[in-house]
Amino acid sequence: MLIPRQIQNTFSDRMLSWAFLLPVVAILTVTALIPLLYGVYLSFHEYRLNIPGARPAFIGLRNYASLFADPFLRQSLRNNLLFAGLAVPLELALGLTLAMLLCDAGKLSRMLTTLLLIPTIIAPVAAGTLWRMMLDRTYGVVNYLATLAGLPAVAWLAHPFLALLSVVMVDVWQFTPFVAILVLSAIKGIPDTVLEAACMDGASPWQVFRHVILPMISPVLVIVIMIRMIDAFKVFDTVFVLTQGGPGNATEMLPNYIYRQGIRFFNVGYTSALAVCFIIAMFLASWIFLHLRNRMLLRSR
Amino acid sequence: MTNGIARQRKRHGAGFDARRYASCFLGRPARLAVLTLTFALIAFPFYWLATNAFKLPQDYFSQPPVLFPTRGTLQNFTEVFTKYQVGRGLVNSILIASMTTVLTLISGALASYSLTNGILPRRTRRALMLWFLVQRLYPAIVFAVPVFYVISRLRLMDSIWALILMNTSFNIPLAILLLVGFYQDVPREVEEQAVLDGCNLFQRFFYIATPMVAPGLAAVGILTFVFTWNEFLYAAILTIFKAKPLTVIIAGFITDRGLIWGPMAAMGCIVVVPVLLVIWGAQKFFISGLSAGALKE
Repeated sequence: MLIPRQIQNTFSDRMLSWAFLLPVVAILTVTALIPLLYGVYLSFHEYRLNIPGARPAFIGLRNYASLFADPFLRQSLRNNLLFAGLAVPLELALGLTLAMLLCDAGKLSRMLTTLLLIPTIIAPVAAGTLWRMMLDRTYGVVNYLATLAGLPAVAWLAHPFLALLSVVMVDVWQFTPFVAILVLSAIKGIPDTVLEAACMDGASPWQVFRHVILPMISPVLVIVIMIRMIDAFKVFDTVFVLTQGGPGNATEMLPNYIYRQGIRFFNVGYTSALAVCFIIAMFLASWIFLHLRNRMLLRSR
Repeated sequence: MTNGIARQRKRHGAGFDARRYASCFLGRPARLAVLTLTFALIAFPFYWLATNAFKLPQDYFSQPPVLFPTRGTLQNFTEVFTKYQVGRGLVNSILIASMTTVLTLISGALASYSLTNGILPRRTRRALMLWFLVQRLYPAIVFAVPVFYVISRLRLMDSIWALILMNTSFNIPLAILLLVGFYQDVPREVEEQAVLDGCNLFQRFFYIATPMVAPGLAAVGILTFVFTWNEFLYAAILTIFKAKPLTVIIAGFITDRGLIWGPMAAMGCIVVVPVLLVIWGAQKFFISGLSAGALKE
């Protein structure tokens, strides 16, 4: 992965090497390492910032035990899993299709690829605001267009399940282009000769896709799935702006729940326990994915 | 069996384009239909955003919604700057994003160069790379409470420096992962020549290697700027009043004041347009940065 070059081993070079690392290590220690350690420390304490004069009180694993008894946590987890289970496959399928449709070098494809960048780069808050405007029940343009087409006008953000679907839809709108761009880079990386050889053998376009392109880009697809899965558990901005977790708890995702517990209710100890579990879960998930990908890479050799 | 090829050959002669052939894997009409639909789905929301920003209140509150407005006004934009502190938000966003980019590039480039060309024990190098890889995995929310505490202890609450610091911290891991790749692409002979000419590590970094990775720096800089401009969570947590960037103002607008479409759309335009301009000028860098960041493991 990283092949170091150590060309000249002088005293000044050695000192400079460490000095160069200093800014980054300093910043990350203050902003990431110390908060992490402090968070772990707090997770074993009961500490509510909204009670004046409160101090952390050691309660051992009780915060962690409360995790299992928390119905709101279970609802958030369920919402988040549902969201991930809907959004990621959709983004993958649509993104893959788009990437395939745009993999040639024509002018149309180049123009559209540039256009694809746009939803991905705007702030999720802006995307949420935009769709909040468009999905409004009375003034929203989506309902208007639906009625024009003869379909019923729906309460997109007021009905629990539809609200979740709306959040999925906005996420798919914003990040399918991202998936498409990544997959497109991978497809462009396939040598022309391989593709031509496949066509030489009389394969139909579908067969070229299914038996040549797909296997060759599968390691990239695994990485993309991993990235989108992890990102699906990080959504905060869109939900915050679109529904604020409502109606009721129907669209509250894990980050929104943690935010509520920590910043609204100031239940610091419990929030830290939540955070620690979240980190561990993310670790495990990434480790599994990377393992999968490495096995796939080995197999394709 | 060679039907498709023969047809393509006849049409294009010797210049058979395998990619164009493969890209029609769902059939040519389906391809056109899907691409048109995609274009519409992407372009229409932005059309809607832009037109709503210039609509009069009668038009943006009208039912059914006005699809093709015939009259416009700039009053939404002026309102947004005078009544909703968007001017200050804009200044904050610009300051935070640019300072973060500068800090990230400087510290990231230094660290990346040291990792690729410096003299470090092998285990330190490995441990640091692992740390940077892993930093990208955490959802931002898990640090929210301790960071809130640390920042308020440091008396940095509601100051743009808190956000600059945090955003730099978020962007450093990706910056390093990308820049390490770019510094490794600098040919070894060039470095060796510089050593023969008597350069120490800093001189090689400053005069030789960094100019050569300038496109990489541009890509990382653009990514950092855009991510920081769009950042919301920590901006919301760490600001109270005077340091709020645009993303927080636009979100607060929805929750506090209900739904006044005109000014909301105007604010949306202000948040979105600068990023679009930056990207339009540098799409190649952005795409290469995005892909490299995701696919380099």
